[in-house]
Amino acid sequence: MKVVHYLNQFFAGLGGEEAAGHEPVRLEGAVGPGRGLGAAGLPVDVTLACGDDHFGEHEAEALARLLAWLEEEEPDVLVCGPSFGSGRYGYACGSLAREAGRRGVPVVSAMTPDSPGVLAAEGAAYIVPTGSNVTEMRTVLPVVAGLAGRLASGEPVGPAEEEGYLPRGLRRNELADATGAVRALDLLLAKLAGDTRTEVAPSGDRVPPAPAVADVSRATVALVSEAGCVPQGNPDRLPSRHSNMWLRYPLGGVASLDADAYESVHSGFDTAAANEDPNRLVPLDAVRQLEAEGHIGKLHDVFYTTTGVDTPVAAAAKFGQEIAAEVHEAEVQAVILTGT
Amino acid sequence: MSRRPADPPLGLGTYEVVEVSPGPSTSWEAGNLVVDLESLRGSAAKEPAVEAVEVHLVRPGDPVRIANVLDAVVPHVKAEDPEATFPGVLGRLAPAGRGRSNRLGGVTVLSVCDLPAAGLVEQDDVNEAFVDMAGPGADRSSFGSTTNVVLAFTPRPGAPAADVDLAIRRTTLRVARDLAATTIGAAPDREETFRPVGTGDDGEGLPAIAAILQVGSEGPFLDTFLYGLRMEGLVPTSLDPREVLDGALTNGAYEWAGSRNPTAFYQRNALIRELSEADGQRLRFAGLIVALGYLNTAFEKQRSAMLSARLAQLLGADGVVCTTFETGNSHTDTMLTVRACERMGIRTTAIVTETNGGLTDHVPEADCIISVGNEDELVPAWSPDRVIGASAARVGKPVPTWAYLGATCQTGDMRWRAVPA
Repeated sequence: MKVVHYLNQFFAGLGGEEAAGHEPVRLEGAVGPGRGLGAAGLPVDVTLACGDDHFGEHEAEALARLLAWLEEEEPDVLVCGPSFGSGRYGYACGSLAREAGRRGVPVVSAMTPDSPGVLAAEGAAYIVPTGSNVTEMRTVLPVVAGLAGRLASGEPVGPAEEEGYLPRGLRRNELADATGAVRALDLLLAKLAGDTRTEVAPSGDRVPPAPAVADVSRATVALVSEAGCVPQGNPDRLPSRHSNMWLRYPLGGVASLDADAYESVHSGFDTAAANEDPNRLVPLDAVRQLEAEGHIGKLHDVFYTTTGVDTPVAAAAKFGQEIAAEVHEAEVQAVILTGT
Repeated sequence: MSRRPADPPLGLGTYEVVEVSPGPSTSWEAGNLVVDLESLRGSAAKEPAVEAVEVHLVRPGDPVRIANVLDAVVPHVKAEDPEATFPGVLGRLAPAGRGRSNRLGGVTVLSVCDLPAAGLVEQDDVNEAFVDMAGPGADRSSFGSTTNVVLAFTPRPGAPAADVDLAIRRTTLRVARDLAATTIGAAPDREETFRPVGTGDDGEGLPAIAAILQVGSEGPFLDTFLYGLRMEGLVPTSLDPREVLDGALTNGAYEWAGSRNPTAFYQRNALIRELSEADGQRLRFAGLIVALGYLNTAFEKQRSAMLSARLAQLLGADGVVCTTFETGNSHTDTMLTVRACERMGIRTTAIVTETNGGLTDHVPEADCIISVGNEDELVPAWSPDRVIGASAARVGKPVPTWAYLGATCQTGDMRWRAVPA
């Protein structure tokens, strides 16, 4: 079993805050908390370290060097931290964990649940939640070592709740003790008795409507659609379902979406009628008229498109955030969303 | 004034099958089912839209992947009136859900057809549908643990899709009936009795619970059938739950395999069974509603949700379990139904499958959800010795859970669920 351990300058013994600009280094064997991992049954072969400021200021270069070492070592597991409540250290741990995880290296880290490292890891690592205080080192290291040892030897790791790591945003299948029918009745009867429980807690991401546009006649308006409307031939290969992308197409000088130039690749409805007049997917003709008559200020010069079918909420939310950021940047005041 | 005769109970006798073997004539005796493969092939000869049918016997543990699976049917016969088995679609029209029915335990009839290869649907419109008899995916489908009589159909070239569709369904149901008919006259290993709903020992003071069984009906190869007719256009309606157990509801919808409702899940429906068993004990079974999912417009969806909730109210339900048919679009039907019920003061639980990205739709009223698993989870690669029903079937590659027949079925029949990891 080969174990690589990542530390910041302080825990690697390179120095305190004055050494925060330290470049990445590769050290043989265990250093600092790595000895604790060894005592807990996870002997560390190689230690990688980097100053927290250096990582923050030269992230791409620092990551490239650290990843190059990882590639040489081909470890069975990478341990990052623990970083406890340290934001910069946590961010470095989470970022390295994400990149290593994506390259197929199992990663275990430990930090406070609100550490920026948790977000940076993007679910690619098992992160053991800690308090903000380093005095927890003694209790955290055996948990990290246990998890890392099992990952390194390919043993199965159970669900987050059972194992005590932070949920990585994944939903893993397991066989419950009872059928869905039995569980449904148990939960329904409990709910009727005042005890409401759920097996699926959706994100609380509910968006309050924006205030009304004060003066539409001066507003820039954008067209956004999930109707799968693309130029004929679908040059950018927008998926017809389960879309993993959104696209933008120019509207400068375009008065109407003609049937010989645009089509829908949406697989969730019969597109025959829409393809006879793609303006019914993205209502360009009507909006151009409103623009000419002065009812709206002007039309944004591109339209945004994706296919909304079998699209998980998380993917749709991401598309929405990205498109919203772009139109916000372009000082668009209103969006007409057309759905199917 | 004359009294109305009592509604007779449904008696379901189960005849366990320990061994299935080919033989000169089809028979069942003391757990041994002998199957005359030639006569099964012959039963498809009655169907002009079918050119040929291959019959395979596969057992749990066999290194076999069955691909392009359409439906799964429990061998089932009306013991006192075999001609009324699967009424309306195979048998003579007669009310199901009363009298004596015999079924085989541990055996399933699977229909298999490569519809795109036959030119009946576009390749893009169908998705893989597997049952693995061994390997890491064997426990994903309920039918990896039964002995399966696999009917692999070759449609007659040029036959209209609707004719092929009916021929495959009718042949599969006929084989299921004829296998079960071997038990007529014998004593069952197990017998269950289902009385009309709400006649349990003492329902007084117990919460009244109804179930909403969502089904889909969108056209050839995408339909669910009630007494032989496709259900498109259905207004939410109440059925005697025993009719569903007894063959009135049959599947002909073959889109996503994992979240499809095979006929077997209607025949042995876990939710109806649990509600029947608990009737008069910890709840009062208020009734069963069938309603469509996959409705086309927001108006149709809201209308159906409203009418389902209204029907639940008319049945006197304090709570309902909302099931879901397939995924995506239909999750909106489920969520709107949850909302409509909750707004009428009827408490709900919804049964839904998840994806890697979470739920497809959600309303705040849905505060009590049963997960039947993450349909996007990959099942490790497996290389079976033999594939039935296809030339290529992800051999040696990981398989998404949605490809396994009924793996994340939202009727409550499976034990899978997704947990945070």
